[in-house]
Amino acid sequence: MNWLKLISAFSLALLVVPVFLLIYEGFGPLSQPIGYSYEVFRAIELTVLSSAISAAISVAVFTPLAYYLARNKNSLGETLSAIPASIPHPIIGVAILVIVSPLTPFGKFLLSIGINFFDTYLGLITALTIVSAPIYINSMQLFFQSMNLAHENYALGLGASKFRTFISVALPNSGRGMLSASLISMSRAMSEFGSISIVAYYVLQQPFYGVSPAPVLIFQYYTYYGLGPAVTASAVMILVSIAMMVLLRIVKR
Amino acid sequence: MIEAEVKKKLGSFFLDASISDEHFICLTGKNGSGKTTLLNLIGGILTPDAGHITLNSKKITNLPIEQRQVSIITPDSCIPHLNVDRHLVWGAKNKGLSIEQDYITEIKTSLGISFNGKVRKLSLGMRERVALATSLISKPELILVDEALSNIDNHSDFVDAFRNLAAKAKIDAIFTTQYPEDSSQADHHYRLESGKTTRLF
Repeated sequence: MNWLKLISAFSLALLVVPVFLLIYEGFGPLSQPIGYSYEVFRAIELTVLSSAISAAISVAVFTPLAYYLARNKNSLGETLSAIPASIPHPIIGVAILVIVSPLTPFGKFLLSIGINFFDTYLGLITALTIVSAPIYINSMQLFFQSMNLAHENYALGLGASKFRTFISVALPNSGRGMLSASLISMSRAMSEFGSISIVAYYVLQQPFYGVSPAPVLIFQYYTYYGLGPAVTASAVMILVSIAMMVLLRIVKR
Repeated sequence: MIEAEVKKKLGSFFLDASISDEHFICLTGKNGSGKTTLLNLIGGILTPDAGHITLNSKKITNLPIEQRQVSIITPDSCIPHLNVDRHLVWGAKNKGLSIEQDYITEIKTSLGISFNGKVRKLSLGMRERVALATSLISKPELILVDEALSNIDNHSDFVDAFRNLAAKAKIDAIFTTQYPEDSSQADHHYRLESGKTTRLF
């Protein structure tokens, strides 16, 4: 008897059984037509699109930070970059709203120049980026740490600055790592509920006017209609998430 | 002229080494004797616990790698995504040097670089030839070669060619090897044993 295999299979089952049960119930006994409605697919579309944009922002903005943390011992930087992932996410939502609050001079200023986070794409994408960026940073930091330092030391010895070495040596050899980390980050963003339920319960801008992100819509269905519609909509959303995970496995190969 | 007197403790290993010479210097020693540690200290990858490093009368002990004018080459040294011709001039371009095509051709011919393609797809020996040629073309004051000569075909002829090119460009070089017989091609020979250097000639 391979006990390690048995224990591993049991612990894996603890994680996946509720998910597969939900898929079975969602498409089977508890299936409700509203779970496949146009509203659900629009919500999923908004979630996937905004999560993809937030992942792209993470790549553009946070890759240099991940590289810096990988090459320099900086406990403070590492701790600060992990803060958004380690505090309750509704707090992130509240914090984002405080930035544009008309009760503060800075908030008044931002509103006066048209920057508003409340029920806007900007707010939704900002929230998703803040909560998912720590995952991206951590993944990329580990990726950069796994790279062969001989290439970079050689480049530095050839007179390249640290920034030039990052741009011309580390980055061109990090495509796969960035794609993998951005997909992990995107998956995390797609599952976000806490912050966006405060910042962008729905979006009041075209082309998704009045559409809620999928996790928020599922919560709405649960509170308005009960378990059946929420389970069906969840099952559809889970299929999208599984597709993302399959893509991630393919990229990681 | 490289002058180094350095001390470094790494775990239970203690390096207490000194070198003071110029031209083509051979550093021999068994695995774990401290050859790579010493080169890493001279190249700036490691910082000494005590001591000093001077290159052509300039103190470089605390300078970052990119400001030392010291090129470090290991068997893994290369810019993998570049093709050979772009690789060869990469370092020179970083330093804003204008290099004559004739000089590049001379180096390619002398070091047997008659191939092209992405550097990551080359064999280990070919990559090492390209890495060494790139370093020469970038004209540092010192080239550190850490076991990166041993995978090259016609080893002895190649070392001679490399030595002549370095001498012509007034570049000093320190190369490490596990084989004491390689020292016959060097101007000076140091042996490292348990972290201590001995100058043999």
